Amino acid sequence: MPKVLMKGNEALAEGAIIAGCRGFFGYPITPSSEIAEYMARKLPKLNGVFVQAESELAAINMVYGGASTGQRVMTASSGPGISLKQEGISFIAEAELPCLIVNISRGGPGLGGIQPAQSDYFQATRGGGHGDYRTMVLAPSSVQEMMDFAVTGFELADKYRSPVMIMAEGTLGQMMEPIIMREPVTKLPEKPWAVTGCRGRKPNIINTLHLSAEYLEERNHHLQNKYTSMALNEKRAESFQTEDAELVVVAFGLMARIVKKAVMEARQQGVKVGMIRPITLWPFPDEAIRQAVNSAKRFLAVEISMGQMIEDIRLAVAGRAPVEFYGRIGITPNPEEIYQEIMRIAQREGY
Amino acid sequence: MTTSIKQLPDIEQVLSGNGACGGCPATMALRIVGKALGSNAIMLLTPSCSVASMGMTPKLGYNWPAINICFATAGSSGSGIAHALEIMQEKGRLQGEPPTVFCWVGDGGTYDIGFQALSAAAERNDNMIFFCYNNEAYSNTGVQRSGATPRGSFTTTTPAGKRQPKKNMALLMLEHNIPYVATATVAYPGDLYDKVVKAKSIPGLKYIEILAPCYLGWQFDMPETVQMSRMAVRSGAWLLWEADNGKISFNNPSSLIISGKKDAAPVDEYLMKQGRFKRLLKGPDADQRIAEIQGDIDREIAFMRERAKITF
Repeated sequence: MPKVLMKGNEALAEGAIIAGCRGFFGYPITPSSEIAEYMARKLPKLNGVFVQAESELAAINMVYGGASTGQRVMTASSGPGISLKQEGISFIAEAELPCLIVNISRGGPGLGGIQPAQSDYFQATRGGGHGDYRTMVLAPSSVQEMMDFAVTGFELADKYRSPVMIMAEGTLGQMMEPIIMREPVTKLPEKPWAVTGCRGRKPNIINTLHLSAEYLEERNHHLQNKYTSMALNEKRAESFQTEDAELVVVAFGLMARIVKKAVMEARQQGVKVGMIRPITLWPFPDEAIRQAVNSAKRFLAVEISMGQMIEDIRLAVAGRAPVEFYGRIGITPNPEEIYQEIMRIAQREGY
Repeated sequence: MTTSIKQLPDIEQVLSGNGACGGCPATMALRIVGKALGSNAIMLLTPSCSVASMGMTPKLGYNWPAINICFATAGSSGSGIAHALEIMQEKGRLQGEPPTVFCWVGDGGTYDIGFQALSAAAERNDNMIFFCYNNEAYSNTGVQRSGATPRGSFTTTTPAGKRQPKKNMALLMLEHNIPYVATATVAYPGDLYDKVVKAKSIPGLKYIEILAPCYLGWQFDMPETVQMSRMAVRSGAWLLWEADNGKISFNNPSSLIISGKKDAAPVDEYLMKQGRFKRLLKGPDADQRIAEIQGDIDREIAFMRERAKITF
């Protein structure tokens, strides 16, 4: 396949089209709007549907409607818009409808700013809305992965009949990189549960209201079993030079690429440092962390937030090593300052 | 008599150092609104150009106490302030003239996402002025279509031109039975000023919509904002009217078009000046598409002429 230069948001949109997505429901918000704009240009030519909704609430509920017909549909937004979508995401999780939700994230809280951030980690990985549910979260770290994860996201959504989220810093949405295009997905799974009219068969019902307490509990057990299965099968992480590492830095998204450069520089200085990049933020790849604990004396979480993923790292480490934190918000740490932080810890601890 | 531009007070509520584009109609309109409201006011701002260009917080280019609120809920937050002020007055904790509560919201925050909260505030008749500065698109996020975008207009999410006509938002607000509704635009500053002065003196919810031709979204030359605003009115694409307790009266020069004393200028020239219609005008079906836009304008003129005759 040819290499093309693409912007992250456009690569993600093209990836969704490659995956067979033919319905996009969106609402403008910086820094995600290019996804909607790309879909507005492309989908009508592919017999697809682009609708600019009147609000994020409307957009996610259009996804709810679209997904219930069995079509591959999606929405994209950024922090404040993703907050508005939460009620709909909770409904979609309980209705077990596959769809893709994209958060090209920016700094909050409140209206915050339009600079890249990772401070929606809690919202993304803890369900976000009301009730006991989880959303699988993929965190790309390159424009290529923006495209690839859109395809993976739809596959996982269909496999588990569950909403899947892609969370990427605003920088990834806005930056351009050469990427290798992919072949379009031609075979989509059967969806016998879809609401498509019921001539000649019994009506399918999509419902999230359960007045019987026993049935409500049964539904929750069903969902939890599904989440257990996701946690068993879908944890993804990239480990970089962790085999002999005394200090392991944990970072996700584009931040991980920046950390990698700092790790390489510190290695040149003889510091035994490695990196783990969680690719799925939920389910969190705790086994990769646990493996590293065997050699690592210390962990460092680097996030573009005030410290959110660090809680999952600490849960995985389970007290067997200290976990330190380095984070900024609104400003993405550069390789130099991460390198300085690594060297500071290494010198202090004598690694 | 309409106040002339020379008679407008010298006070400035919009300070230098804000980040608006050159020729920004929203900032121009806000400056005139400031002259009418004075400093005793509380400003509510939703996500929009006006909040993005208000200056680098914690500093502010607007000389009012200002509250930045959620996109969907200008009406709700305005209600909260209005009710709190009423309580403070009742308890004697607020002496003298109470401040004017006003929402300064774009067309997205009015026509689309903010409609529910605005409609409810209007139904309760909560005491505030709700301004919609209407640049007919989501200009702040890079010009996407809104419910105020006219038929045929290009935006980044209507790459082939919008197929649906815009809503008549001011008329919808009139049907909420609120005490005062008005439309205005920057080419007629005295008209806008007088309407704001009047709205300030009326208790309850007042809705004022200001057409704000945006050079970036409409794609015309930056210094031509006022000219575009005037052309919108002369072509009948924007009608200047106000309604006191439901009774509509038209303002010059729209009143001349409505009464038939003067013909509206054909829409062609107005459209030709704007890049957002350019693709439409170059297409093979250009005549038909222009006729559609002209049809939307003619229908609105005819409808508003008849609607104004209904008084109780």
